Amino acid sequence: MTGTPRIWPLVLILAIFSTPLVIMYLYQIIDSVASPDPGSLIPGELDLSNWRFLWERIDSGRPTIWQVTFNTFLFASTTAFLVTLLSTTAGYALSRLNMPGRPYFLGGLIILHAFPTITLIIAIFIILQALGLFDTLLGIILVKAALELPFGVWIMKGFYDTVPWEIEMAGVQDGASRFRVWWELVMPQVKPGLAALLIISFLSGWSEFVLPLVLAPGSSTQVLSTFMNAVIQDDATADFGLFKAIGMYYSIPVIVIYLIFQKQLMNIYGGGTKG
Amino acid sequence: MKTRLLAFGFLSPALIAVFFFFLLPVLLTVVFAFTNMSTSTGIMGGAYQINETQMGSLRDTEVSPESIEKLEGAGYLISEAGLAALAEEFGEDTAEELRDDYLGETFAARRDLERVLRNLDDPIRNTRDRKAAADLFVSTVIGERFDTAEDFRAALVETGIDPADHDLLTEFAYTGWTWTTANFSLLAELPSTMRYASNTAFYVVCTLTFNILFGLFLAISTFYLPGRLANTFRAIWFLPRILPPVLYVLMWNWFTWDRGFIATVAGWFGAPQQNWMLHTSTHAWTAVILINGFVGASLGMILFSSAIKAIPTSMLYASEVDGANRWQQVRYIILPQMRWPILFMTSYQTLSLLTSFEYILLATDGGPGRSTEVWALAAYHTALNNYGGNLQYGLGAAYALALVFIGIALSILYLRFFNFKELLSKPRIEQ
Repeated sequence: MTGTPRIWPLVLILAIFSTPLVIMYLYQIIDSVASPDPGSLIPGELDLSNWRFLWERIDSGRPTIWQVTFNTFLFASTTAFLVTLLSTTAGYALSRLNMPGRPYFLGGLIILHAFPTITLIIAIFIILQALGLFDTLLGIILVKAALELPFGVWIMKGFYDTVPWEIEMAGVQDGASRFRVWWELVMPQVKPGLAALLIISFLSGWSEFVLPLVLAPGSSTQVLSTFMNAVIQDDATADFGLFKAIGMYYSIPVIVIYLIFQKQLMNIYGGGTKG
Repeated sequence: MKTRLLAFGFLSPALIAVFFFFLLPVLLTVVFAFTNMSTSTGIMGGAYQINETQMGSLRDTEVSPESIEKLEGAGYLISEAGLAALAEEFGEDTAEELRDDYLGETFAARRDLERVLRNLDDPIRNTRDRKAAADLFVSTVIGERFDTAEDFRAALVETGIDPADHDLLTEFAYTGWTWTTANFSLLAELPSTMRYASNTAFYVVCTLTFNILFGLFLAISTFYLPGRLANTFRAIWFLPRILPPVLYVLMWNWFTWDRGFIATVAGWFGAPQQNWMLHTSTHAWTAVILINGFVGASLGMILFSSAIKAIPTSMLYASEVDGANRWQQVRYIILPQMRWPILFMTSYQTLSLLTSFEYILLATDGGPGRSTEVWALAAYHTALNNYGGNLQYGLGAAYALALVFIGIALSILYLRFFNFKELLSKPRIEQ
């Protein structure tokens, strides 16, 4: 606010609480390129051998990092695309189109939005096995997209709700069909929503861990989260330099997107969403 | 009419997805909870087989001892089929003689049958031949695999076991899954059930309290800081929420492991080297609550910050003119405005903390011992990942069912709670 006397005690308290996180971030970066000796916190010489996973297999029997990265990208982008596509249409139907049972669909949407989907994973595991989609990328893509859907529809409905009715009224008056009104007049208005949803569902897919862990445990369908987890679990020597280098590599897209869209992301997440 | 068609066309892909991955799984969780489905029963169906190793557990069932004895003893039966085979290999005479004297008789051990074969008028002299001949009359069902219940029952009839026991035996021999309520009685009996429940309650209450108090603190304190400084702190506290969980927990693992940051710094003061996350259950709980708490506080900060921003600045200026100090401003202006966001955060986080296990799985995996095993993690461990290797889908589904019910109940409650009418504003273009 206006006169800000004595902010330093506040800064001090905040700084104390933030120290652990800052130390973690700092050493996350330092340790990935220069491991200090265990028992010391002073970084040693620059050492790029932690990044060896980029040009060789860490151990035999593991897929290459490029295969895993490709899987992750395919998983995250397809999921984001599917979620956005289905949410765009479903959100419009719920926001603007008059249909029987609309209150029930809306109520169902809110319930689904709050419902903790992770509890269904045992049943989904068995469904995927019965469908023959277990341990396939297609399987986890479908599951992830479906589970993200209530959130996506919710967000898109929110964006459609802010579009002025006058735009559509004018379109309908001029004799355009509802479909054409949606496609040519309303869609341009919700472009920011589309972009936001694409980014958020991409990030969510990129970070997803439990679904691939349970539903696609094979090495050919590994994504970066399960790959990194497997490397950590199998390593008896606690090679944190290697883990952190993989972690750095893994989080590059997240950090980049964060740096570019920081403000928008905070706004969207501030709208009260899942997590 | 056209609008309706369009509406359903627009909605149906989402509805199909919701059906397959929400409604069906909810129903199936209920269904599976009433089965004994596991890795060993498979998920599709099964065959009928009783193995020798199962004889011990068969005695614990209600099958009569005579039947069990017969089942074990029904080693060799002189049957027409066996005789025909014998005639083919060892000649009609031998078979004829055996038929006259022994047709329908059973022999418990091969030795007994071999003695008979040796003492025939036209004996089979070679030991190896006698063995081969005896094998033609094997009639036991033990170790044999039958694809259908009918085949299995037919085999039982041949052994001459009391038909009263056939149903029980068939049921016992079935290797697929069956309907049962045993999962729930097991949950009621196991002492670990109460433990997981109380672990979960402890975890949810502590983490939630931390999330809200600390989230509020972050939101309010950054609100009073000058822009640059506030943004720095917001950035620091936003990252836990956006970083991939595997990486976020890895940083905590490094921070707390035997030669990580805390151990190194504590070592300077002569503290013994130890893992600060897994040393005792107190350590583990502290770590688990902080790991989840930081992520939750991150969300809390964002939510509360945007709520504070929505407070008209004129109110804050007015309070300052009236001589309110910082604390009074927070207490009488900001906090009352936070009622809805706090309520939302509480209800929303309660559900997600009750059911999510990702961070605990990555950090402590329920350890040390089972001290940080929460309900959702127990469901995961039972059904999807355990050291025994036999994944008990049925029991796991019973665990999950409790959470599904709580989830549905709370979601419906929230629906009543939050302003549903507002969402229902009617579409204005009527055609």
